[in-house]
Amino acid sequence: MTKSQLITIKGTKDGLVLRLDDHCSFTELLSELKEKVQSSVLEGVSEVQLHLGHRYCDEKDMNKIQSVIHTSPHLRVSKVHSDVISLKECERKLIEKQSETYIGIVRSGQVVKADGDLVVIGDVNQSAQVIAGGSIYVLGRVKGIAHAGAQGNKDAVIAASWLEATHLKIADKIEIMTDELTILSEQPEMECAYLQKNGQIAIDRLQELRYLRPDLATFKGGI
Amino acid sequence: MGEAIVITSGKGGVGKTTTSANLGTALALQGKKVCLIDTDIGLRNLDVILGLENRIIYDLVDVVEERCKVHQALVKDKRFEDRLFLLPAAQTTDKSAVNPEQMKKLILELKQDYDYVLIDCPAGIEQGFKNAISGADRAIVVTTPEISAVRDADRIIGLLEAEEELEPPKLIINRIRSGMMESGETLDVNEITTHLSIDLLGIVMDDQNVISASNKGEPVVMDPTNPAAIGYRNIARRILGESVPLMTMEKSKAGFFGKIKNMFSK
Ligand SMILES: Nc1ncnc2c1ncn2[C@@H]1O[C@H](COP(=O)(O)OP(=O)(O)OP(=O)(O)O)[C@@H](O)[C@H]1O
Ligand SMILES: [Mg+2]
Repeated sequence: MTKSQLITIKGTKDGLVLRLDDHCSFTELLSELKEKVQSSVLEGVSEVQLHLGHRYCDEKDMNKIQSVIHTSPHLRVSKVHSDVISLKECERKLIEKQSETYIGIVRSGQVVKADGDLVVIGDVNQSAQVIAGGSIYVLGRVKGIAHAGAQGNKDAVIAASWLEATHLKIADKIEIMTDELTILSEQPEMECAYLQKNGQIAIDRLQELRYLRPDLATFKGGI
Repeated sequence: MGEAIVITSGKGGVGKTTTSANLGTALALQGKKVCLIDTDIGLRNLDVILGLENRIIYDLVDVVEERCKVHQALVKDKRFEDRLFLLPAAQTTDKSAVNPEQMKKLILELKQDYDYVLIDCPAGIEQGFKNAISGADRAIVVTTPEISAVRDADRIIGLLEAEEELEPPKLIINRIRSGMMESGETLDVNEITTHLSIDLLGIVMDDQNVISASNKGEPVVMDPTNPAAIGYRNIARRILGESVPLMTMEKSKAGFFGKIKNMFSK
């Protein structure tokens, strides 16, 4: 009996695309992957994009797949595509997309938290904190502490009419607004803070947000 | 039935007790029946400023622990016939001797007989603060133009706003030195009120006679020409519902030169 192909390999201009069957058992898949990887004749290093289809792989499974592929010195996994996510992850994504609104002044010592995005209509005074799983938008002055992407979302931003915070945090990165950084914003009007690729928090004009984080927009299509 | 107003600040030493004594006296001067309560148990001051220290027999803790009746503990200020009374704090115990429920009950009782019950709050945000605000209908927050005092006022306002039974708090800025304010050495009235964004009830000048008057046991507000006294009298009238315009700060010489200096240094 000839075995059906569990793994198909295709070369594209962005590297190799590995499609893994999503119906067979995981052990079957792994053993065929091993075979394919070992029998392949390659030179140099190729980037590999994995397509998992409808197979749900947790972190352990993913590690197994990757370590098999990385037994070949010529292959490097660059991207993983999957058509499924866990319920938990889905819920987290949904929650982070939700927006909560606080109207009033967040005063010294007070903490306002949201699981998703947080809109504050009012000032965030010195020694006050606003914390959000998603992004933070303040129609007012941020003079205290703002923490966006508190569950680790690195794409979260902090935008405010006046961004004069003493501390900015995005995901697990914290920036104390020392003079050097605040020089970047001599006029702290209409600004946003975001996490750069290099892991540094940067501040830019609010107008740049649509280019920096195009995915924040949920409004699709033109007029 | 009268109204209970707590005078609070967060930061210590900004003038809560001075403000309580002077507003109480000013309201009594206006013909109102006033009872002052010193809730700074363990660190009582209000009796000294009013010159009533020697006449204390019972105190607040005696009342809540029912060792005496309220009226037995009240010390009358003889200068005002039957219009100004003090319920002194105990000096020998600490703030945990009283709880908010007892304060509520006591203040409700006093409101039957007095137009205004003014509650002098201790510094801080702990038990003493909770006791002091528990029976109040309104709150006055006292600050000075110093950044640290304004920060603590902000914290206190947050706590007061969270109390549903209280009306939105109002602000008094105390110890204003017009010279320093005009030269930008301290925050100005506008900056403070914008930052805290609550209603301004009034401002009081820094004046050395406030201290000497307190030492004599005769609140400065008795002297109608003193600038700080005018501030307190205006605040008392605003509490009574009159609309009194904010007094213009006296332009002292230092202030004028300070301003010029400031212009050049820019
Ligand atoms: N307007 C003023 N001008 C000059 N001195 C003042 C003024 N107001 C208050 N003071 C002085 O400041 C000092 C502190 O005032 P006060 O005792 O009223 O503060 P407090 O807030 O009640 O302090 P505590 O937190 O210890 O209870 C006193 O010496 C008082 O005389
Ligand atoms: Mg005091």
